[in-house]
Amino acid sequence: MNKELILQHGLTLDEFQIIEDCLKRDLTMEELGIFSAMWNEHCCYKTSKKWLKKLPTKNDIVIQGPGENAGIIDLEDNDGIAFKIESHNHPSYIEPFNGSATGVGGILRDIFTMGARPIATLDSIRFGEIKTDKTKYLLNGVVHGIGHYGNCIGIPNIGGECEFDKTYDYNNLVNAMAIGHVKKNAIFYSKPKTVGGLIVYIGSKTGKDGIHGASMASDVFSEDDEDDKRPSVQVGDPFMEKLLMEGCLELMSSGLIESMQDMGAAGITSSSVEMASKGNVGVLINLDKIPLRQPLTPYEILLSESQERMLAVIEKGNDEKVREILKKWQIDFEVIGEITNTKRVVFESQNKKIVDLPVNIIVDDAPEYDREFYLPKKRNKRKFDLSNLTLEKMISNLLNNLNHLEKSWVYNQYDSTVMGDTVKEPGQATGIVKLHDSQKVIGASTDCNPLYIRINPELGMIYTVAEAYRNLIASNIKPMAITNNLNFASPLDPNIMGEIVLSVNGLKISASQLDTPIVSGNVSLYNQTNDAPINPTPVIGMVGSNSNINKIVSNKFQSEGDIIISIGENIDPHKSPYFLQDQEIVEDINLYNELENINLEDEKITAKILMEISDNNLLQSCNDISRGGIFMTLMKMIQKNYGFNIKASNDFELFCEYKSGYVTTIKENNLKKVFALLDENKINYEEIGRVVIEEIKINSKNIDYFDIKDQYLNNFERIIN
Amino acid sequence: MSFKSAVITFPGSNCDRDAITYLRDLTNNDVLNIWHDETFIPSVDLIILPGGFSFGDYLRSGAMASKSNIIPEVIKHANSGKFLLGICNGFQILSEIGLLKGALIQNNKLKFLGKDCFVKKKHENKFNKLIKKDQVLQIPVAHNEGNFYCSNDDLNYLNDEELIAFEYCMGSFSNSDANINGSINNIAGITNEGKNVLGMMPHPERAYQNFHTSMDGKSIIESLIS
Repeated sequence: MNKELILQHGLTLDEFQIIEDCLKRDLTMEELGIFSAMWNEHCCYKTSKKWLKKLPTKNDIVIQGPGENAGIIDLEDNDGIAFKIESHNHPSYIEPFNGSATGVGGILRDIFTMGARPIATLDSIRFGEIKTDKTKYLLNGVVHGIGHYGNCIGIPNIGGECEFDKTYDYNNLVNAMAIGHVKKNAIFYSKPKTVGGLIVYIGSKTGKDGIHGASMASDVFSEDDEDDKRPSVQVGDPFMEKLLMEGCLELMSSGLIESMQDMGAAGITSSSVEMASKGNVGVLINLDKIPLRQPLTPYEILLSESQERMLAVIEKGNDEKVREILKKWQIDFEVIGEITNTKRVVFESQNKKIVDLPVNIIVDDAPEYDREFYLPKKRNKRKFDLSNLTLEKMISNLLNNLNHLEKSWVYNQYDSTVMGDTVKEPGQATGIVKLHDSQKVIGASTDCNPLYIRINPELGMIYTVAEAYRNLIASNIKPMAITNNLNFASPLDPNIMGEIVLSVNGLKISASQLDTPIVSGNVSLYNQTNDAPINPTPVIGMVGSNSNINKIVSNKFQSEGDIIISIGENIDPHKSPYFLQDQEIVEDINLYNELENINLEDEKITAKILMEISDNNLLQSCNDISRGGIFMTLMKMIQKNYGFNIKASNDFELFCEYKSGYVTTIKENNLKKVFALLDENKINYEEIGRVVIEEIKINSKNIDYFDIKDQYLNNFERIIN
Repeated sequence: MSFKSAVITFPGSNCDRDAITYLRDLTNNDVLNIWHDETFIPSVDLIILPGGFSFGDYLRSGAMASKSNIIPEVIKHANSGKFLLGICNGFQILSEIGLLKGALIQNNKLKFLGKDCFVKKKHENKFNKLIKKDQVLQIPVAHNEGNFYCSNDDLNYLNDEELIAFEYCMGSFSNSDANINGSINNIAGITNEGKNVLGMMPHPERAYQNFHTSMDGKSIIESLIS
């Protein structure tokens, strides 16, 4: 076969040789397309598999770990929670509205494919510096797309993160997470049970959109690429997805279907191959039966990534009953093939076999690389000149930095209260929803500290997991499990590969120690344009629960006169990377000091005691300390007309990062009880001030309350417009 | 006396379950759920047309739903003087049917708006009779086309006949404009001439349980059953 053609399909010549050696014959074009779709990074994890295998994925509460459409954890009684995060980075850069919208659509399908009704979404989005019109266009388009899809289908968006950094100038990141509620005795898997079962196609007609989308997502951009790649972005229709979701959930509860698989990346190719592989069976599909939107060649049908489509297996004889249910929802339904015992994937068209491949070659023989990687260099110890930093200047730097400002401009474009079960809306430490007609609540947070990970991938990752953990603890949600979305630049660069290897190791260490296994995930590599890599951005989504909604703690001030306590250990300003970056002291990544070590055992003890204090109703409010230090935490805790009056031994202490850090407020008459518990467990804490009305005072210095609050709430919109 | 109610589900409705739960909890009675394709609604005291994106907002919000098979039954119910409440997309559908004056056009800032808003009652009717004059209610909105618009004649008519049920207002500690979406005269909800049909953009069904940001949405159903 023509060399050019092979390379255009994203395969290396070595990889192609493996295929030919196994098959001992020439490939058809359609077969080449299949390998192109299945052997790219997005589908077969060829670079990351070796390292991902090491992650902890099991404990008593894990019902389903990685390998299915979503992970599922046990919430006691008959309740299970399905969740997963997935990236749509490349499409969202090329076409931000549709790219991000279909990202939400895809992750929702992963959830309801398992029989779970989606109950919440979160989004973790990252953009370049806001200076350029391009970034503004991307921000507007991505937020509009996420909102449009989620709002229309009617799933509340309960949180996420939105970061700006110049390393994302040419590669924005869009990671969407979804959470669903499933009855444990009604979980659906993608594995077909019986040979002879009918393979059925459910959902939108197939069109030309998204052909080669998965292989595009596994490629480095060059600057003039955007226009060429635009037709590869899928177009979403949330109305169709709403019908598909209701139709599929009704079908699942009717008992008429055996298994289901979402046609996501690489469309019918990957869904049918995965189905065959999981069931250790074969599939025979007649491409002439596929509902089409426009005339397509078999090659195009195989690789189309048209949205809102499902592949399911039903028992012979049930097709008319299934058709009847789907007719109510106005959804296309076609029997397109059957499960065979051949262990081969066969596609026919016009009575001709156009693809006939053994499943094991596509799946089991997929390449797995042990790529070369470098460890980061040792860092020199440095002291920085902080003498120009006054209190006013530090505050002003933070309140003019998008990363610190209140982002209601973003989340007010999302419907966060639909379904009527939202307990905590976006803009707080934890997003929380209640299970319908139950007292149980689910909390979730997405997090990543890319700068930490750039400095020290392993330790930085541990900090990231610890921060997500604290985000849940702050609301008295018990952390349970993790989904991850590993966004990196090109793994062909051994420095980047080093970031991948070490941060996955950091994830392994922290997830094991905190007993929060990884149950699902996604990898997005090649996020770089020419030679400009993104900061390593392994985002994690952490999910937890509390069985009693009345024990949830607020993240905001509750009443005047409450005592403000800081908990945890202050990090030296010279070793606080975000402090140094945000205060414009250090720009060059090579100049930062090494991160301080973090002790996860301390993290666990603090968490345990805080949950105990919360269960005893002794906390008025609590929030975790992260980027921006105590000061930004206090700003986030302001609501109504509350302010704060605090003191600290020096001003820096209020802006630097923390280890196991929280700010809590406590009623004066509960102080003794709380202090006793903290003392008993040797937890660092300090009484730093009080909640006051319409006032911000730091070390006796008055700061203009109304001005600061206005800047915090409204500067985001001022800066981006 | 037990209060009977029904919620209509259109393809793309996404607040139908929320409306059913709201009615169930506040009327202590089962709630009928009627599919848009049906042609009969049993006798009930109140019908809710719920929020969502019926028919994907194709053509115009509410336009396709206003032609559904169930609509003649809904009109019959309204004409008999019984209560009909359209929330959000339900309001848009009522406008499209012609049971209410005016139209809901795109928000003036051209963006979807999902947040708590503040409203108070302007003219009294059976939906808001338990709400005190000048009492500020905090209720979430979630819409892209909530900007109420009508002709001057219609506006005069709404005022003269006292058909403006709710208007947007400032809330305590709120720093945004009272008028969140550009609606003419801050109108958030209106009734028909008989005052038995109410359309409103805010979602009272998202503001009635103790974990919601407010419980002010209760007052509408409580007014109707009191």
